[in-house]
Amino acid sequence: MEKDLDKVIEEIMSTPNVNGCLVADHQGLCLASKGSAHVDSAGVIVAISEQACKIQPNLKPPTVCLETDKKQCLIQRHGTITGAIYKQKA
Amino acid sequence: MDKIPDQIGYLVLTEDGAVLESGGELENDERVATIITDLITLSNKVDPTAFAPNEQFKKITITYDDHWFVICLSNKKIYVVKRTIPISAGEGNTVNV
Repeated sequence: MEKDLDKVIEEIMSTPNVNGCLVADHQGLCLASKGSAHVDSAGVIVAISEQACKIQPNLKPPTVCLETDKKQCLIQRHGTITGAIYKQKA
Repeated sequence: MDKIPDQIGYLVLTEDGAVLESGGELENDERVATIITDLITLSNKVDPTAFAPNEQFKKITITYDDHWFVICLSNKKIYVVKRTIPISAGEGNTVNV
């Protein structure tokens, strides 16, 4: 059943500079995670995407990017599913 | 703040979310100020394994199709700028970094 999702995760992980990836549902439950992304952060990631959606609720969900000196965490919501990608800065 | 290119609104907040300065589309926008301070609080809890505790986030961007919000922390203040994305650079919901 999760074959398609695993395929997408594999595809994301094979992208250069990506070192982690996580997919969660609207309740903050982790559907899949790989690499440096920890299952426990699913809830916080969904909360961040929900919080960002509140800024302009009439527009489609935005992409949130959290940056440190060397790393990035990109979060996007699509319907009820939220995805996060952890990247090393190029 | 007025000199930032493509800027259409800005907010300067204290760490607890009080509005110090504002202008443009974000003038006196306490609703956005609250949302953004909550977002920053949440971002501190993201994945302690992937992001070490000493590795704090320096910048947060929220990107829509035609505009984006840039959030930075400096000198114990939160700076929020709303900027438009020039049409030539806007390719859907991508992040410009």
